[in-house]
Amino acid sequence: MVAETAKKFEALEAQAQRVMAVFIKAGHEAVAPAIIQPAGIFLDVIGETLRARTYVFTDPEGDELCLRPDLTVPTCRLHMERHADPSTKGKYCYNGAAFRFQPAGSPSAHPREFRQAGIEAFGGTDREKSEAQAVVTLVDAMKAAGLSTWKLKIGDLGLFRAILEAADMPARWRRRLMHQFWRPQAFRTELQRLTTLAVDVRRDVPKSLLLELDPDRPVDAEKAVARHLDERGIETLGTRGLSEITESLLSIVEDARTQPLSTETANLLQCYVGVVAPARAAGARIRDILRDQKIDISAALESYHRRLQLLADGGIDIGKADFEAEFGRTLEYYTGFVFEIVTPGLGPQSPVAGGGRYDTLMRQCGAASDVPAVGGAIHTERLLAAISGDV
Amino acid sequence: MALQQVSDRLVLAVPSKGRLMEQTAGIFAKAGLELRKVGNARGYRGEIVGMPNVEVAFVSASEIAHYLKSGRAHLGVTGEDLIREQMSDWETRVEFLKPLGFGNADVVVAVPQSWIDVRVIADLDEISVAFREQHGRWFRIATKYMNLTRRFLSARGLTDFRIIESLGATEGTPAAGTADFIVDITTTGETLRANGLKVLEDGIILRSQANLVASRVAPWAPRVREAENEILARLEA
Repeated sequence: MVAETAKKFEALEAQAQRVMAVFIKAGHEAVAPAIIQPAGIFLDVIGETLRARTYVFTDPEGDELCLRPDLTVPTCRLHMERHADPSTKGKYCYNGAAFRFQPAGSPSAHPREFRQAGIEAFGGTDREKSEAQAVVTLVDAMKAAGLSTWKLKIGDLGLFRAILEAADMPARWRRRLMHQFWRPQAFRTELQRLTTLAVDVRRDVPKSLLLELDPDRPVDAEKAVARHLDERGIETLGTRGLSEITESLLSIVEDARTQPLSTETANLLQCYVGVVAPARAAGARIRDILRDQKIDISAALESYHRRLQLLADGGIDIGKADFEAEFGRTLEYYTGFVFEIVTPGLGPQSPVAGGGRYDTLMRQCGAASDVPAVGGAIHTERLLAAISGDV
Repeated sequence: MALQQVSDRLVLAVPSKGRLMEQTAGIFAKAGLELRKVGNARGYRGEIVGMPNVEVAFVSASEIAHYLKSGRAHLGVTGEDLIREQMSDWETRVEFLKPLGFGNADVVVAVPQSWIDVRVIADLDEISVAFREQHGRWFRIATKYMNLTRRFLSARGLTDFRIIESLGATEGTPAAGTADFIVDITTTGETLRANGLKVLEDGIILRSQANLVASRVAPWAPRVREAENEILARLEA
């Protein structure tokens, strides 16, 4: 059995004080969001991968609750409780327990109960500045705690989105590729599919019905689908209605009518996803990949370089930082810049800190629209281990 | 952990009632192993006639996996589905000794028949983005096989869904709107069809049947091992 009691309690507390002092000095208000959270927000928003790692339980009234698997969603909810308008600016910091199930035999750097010290900044309008600030503040805090050797790893979904926007393809393909970005295998399959489009015959739909469906005449299409179901005695039941199913079939028809994705564009996307480079050289590498295809993402690249400069201004040695296009995050809610701080002792599988931009999370928690949000958290037990050399 | 006594008796856990109990008793009887309750006919303890070093525990079918997982029973008769569902590390805790040829059932992914745009798991992933735009949430899947479902779908790249635990009448949840589709057990598919559902082409998670299963974590004293060998030899004969 894993020992779960907070070992080294005093050392962790002392470290937390040093870390929190830096956060507060940088303008973050210390808060203590609730440990017990409604499970629905985590599960509907983030999906079942997180559930597999979240302690979910039912209270005596039958409501589904969970022990928070991180403090970002709880801090979003706290901000929304305070402000009727969630886009109000707010900077928070916290030091508290988070809980994630770990299978038997997990390494000691992955305990099921751990303390996260972190910051979140909502409503910031200068994007690169708030992103760089988040990294600088976290690094300063870890330095104040005694960390001397570390490496910064960054990624940027904004670059990928910009490439998709600039490449010639229908909007729904962009959405699909964006969705598959985190899954290398599915991403490759999707690219392959889009380059070899044909009316998809795997469906439970005779080709004759598909040929009858015209994306320009959705009402007739719906009638045709209704007739098809009727003839077979199939009832439409459940959450997806006739129009939703028709729409889905129409997008299959539309895909078949659209010029397939050019292999050049597919190769380029695949090429971009594979970029791993020193942060400063990455921009030039990406520009090289895009040059032949006349894909212009200079605005996104400019943000990338401006952010790097701001990081350097904040005292980060960006000569040592690495860029990875396919930065594998375990939580899918990041929407732009992402980063991790890695130490040689703990290795890349157990970063001491990480974070990024997550502009859609507030809306997923119930806000009317997206709210700019950047944050990051330190895994405090790992930080202590890295500093004391006890890894 | 004081007074831990290593028993010389093998504990065999079998279903306590219904067809599963009858079929288990039948298979054992055919091998010349007569299961018999001891004392009160409604009791939960029994023996195999002529094998004094075997103790039979009549246990609710869903509990047998727990008995094997914790080592309270050395051998048990239970469905493969329940073992795989209730133990993430089943390979290290139990060993399947022998399929028994009854209790056949498939654990399957089933969606409404009206989803004519969905035939395989990959189609689900494809419509999930549009579904989320329309409904503001990911798919909800009703099942009692939470772990099997999660593992099966994740391995196929479908990770954006929420499982709703359902302990009964799962096949009715899509029509009721509490889930979008289900993972459930089926033998002929009749109940699914009657509820307007269809099994996805690659949606068979597991073809399960009753198995004789050994616990790897139970205390296996030499005499217990002898009893196991004898039971196995008779069943194989």
